[in-house]
Amino acid sequence: MAEHEKLPEEGEWFDLLPVEKKLILWSLGLGIVLLVILGWISLTLVPVQH
Amino acid sequence: MSQQANASRSSLLKTEDWWALWLGLFIFLLGLVKLSGVDLVGWVVKTNTWLELSKALAPASDAYKESLSGFASLILTYLFLTVVLSIGVAAMGGKVGRFIGGFTVIFWITYICWIIGHYAYIAATPDKYEKLGIGWSLRLTGESGFIFALIVGLIIGNFWPSVTRFLEEAAKPEWYIKTAIVILGGKVGLYALESAGLAAHVVLRGFCAIIEAYLIYWALVYFVSRKYFKFTPEWAAPLASGISICGVSAAIATGGAIRARPVVPIIVSSLVIIFAVVELMILPFLAQAWLYKEPMVAGAWMGLAVKTDGAAAASGAIVDALIRAKAATALGVQWQEGWMLMACTTVKVFIDIFIAIWVFLLAIIWTRYIEHKPGEKVSAVEIWHRFPKFVLGYAATFVLVLLIGLGAAEATAKTLEEGVKAADTFRGIFFALTFFSIGLASNFRKLREEGMGRLALVYFVCLFGFIIWIALFISWLFFHGITPPVVS
Repeated sequence: MAEHEKLPEEGEWFDLLPVEKKLILWSLGLGIVLLVILGWISLTLVPVQH
Repeated sequence: MSQQANASRSSLLKTEDWWALWLGLFIFLLGLVKLSGVDLVGWVVKTNTWLELSKALAPASDAYKESLSGFASLILTYLFLTVVLSIGVAAMGGKVGRFIGGFTVIFWITYICWIIGHYAYIAATPDKYEKLGIGWSLRLTGESGFIFALIVGLIIGNFWPSVTRFLEEAAKPEWYIKTAIVILGGKVGLYALESAGLAAHVVLRGFCAIIEAYLIYWALVYFVSRKYFKFTPEWAAPLASGISICGVSAAIATGGAIRARPVVPIIVSSLVIIFAVVELMILPFLAQAWLYKEPMVAGAWMGLAVKTDGAAAASGAIVDALIRAKAATALGVQWQEGWMLMACTTVKVFIDIFIAIWVFLLAIIWTRYIEHKPGEKVSAVEIWHRFPKFVLGYAATFVLVLLIGLGAAEATAKTLEEGVKAADTFRGIFFALTFFSIGLASNFRKLREEGMGRLALVYFVCLFGFIIWIALFISWLFFHGITPPVVS
């Protein structure tokens, strides 16, 4: 790409659509819930022997 | 489907991904032939920590030491790699002549950097001082050669555009690192044979860590870039994938899935590469300072925080060397080489597998809800098309070593180990080539292009604001308290 070339124009910005908010919340929520569950599993059910 | 999808459908001999698998498997199998009594890879050059230059190089296998000088094995290694890589380039439709010209320069510059990196006063760890007859060193380990190669690549890439253009055809960091990872699978298999329980823990925990990384990272980065940095979904999605998951492949695959204009993921990819290089130069040293008592946390951290395959594996290799060196002096313990690298690559490999699934999900969401076009469908076979094929090679070499080694007689096990380790010498060379190529491809001038400021800012804010620290927390959660086997 040539130096000082402008980035391609974006479309006009619009606020988060309901489906985008759902994607974010589900992904984050699932991630945090699984963090707790998988963290507990690895610490208690499958601990490392020292 | 998009051009991206069509490209991913190409034949088994047309992509770097497949050729990493073929080349890696080929070299690994050459090593395995030792089981029949014939040594086909022992001639490959190995570099030792040296005080006299004449002692720097030697063939990897003792059997060749009588007949082959170190320099002769270096020439043979260069010739072998030039031939096999050129076959791949030809099959992929590249310019073989240009490749050979570029590769010749890259190979020799890289190897000189590798040799310099092994100079005793740069590389030696204190446990080696007596044997070498020295009283001090910078203790950077031989892996400092990787950093030299990276710096030379960066200098050429940023200040000599004409030389960079000449070398471009041969600067293929993703191909080299993927080939290296396929070969690495065999060594990981050896570790699994020796310490099955520990290897299983690394795999389980790597898997857990990835789930977290995908679900939490992607959502946060997407939200921040849409809401606060005012990007449209066309930019925000590849950005989220590139920053949060795995750099170049994720950004490009996501761009394809959501039908972004092809230039969008390519621009995101340039940023990913530049930032990965910055991470590679900083994070391993932070890890050594903070995490030398938690080596596997350090390895996993590199895999979760560094955003390209090449830079992540590179960071893992440096962390492995730096932390083993520090543990030897600060803790008086010698950990077995390669486990931190294994934690890093295991995490990275799972990331790469999940790209295929995540991108498939994004494609469904985008076509159904965000940019619905009547009659458009996404088929499940897209997961296979996007699945990183080199991972199959990594799994294959791993499984082959396990199958041969489990229950084998001691003599067989020993020969297996020698063959795999000789093939693994190639892995080190591919790593070094990756470092140089990454440096060459990282053009910091791209940051000066108009509009890049906002992209670079969101990248910086997300990466250094929370991704690196969440990665550290998740690595800690799943890997703390785990240490590699002790050598002495």
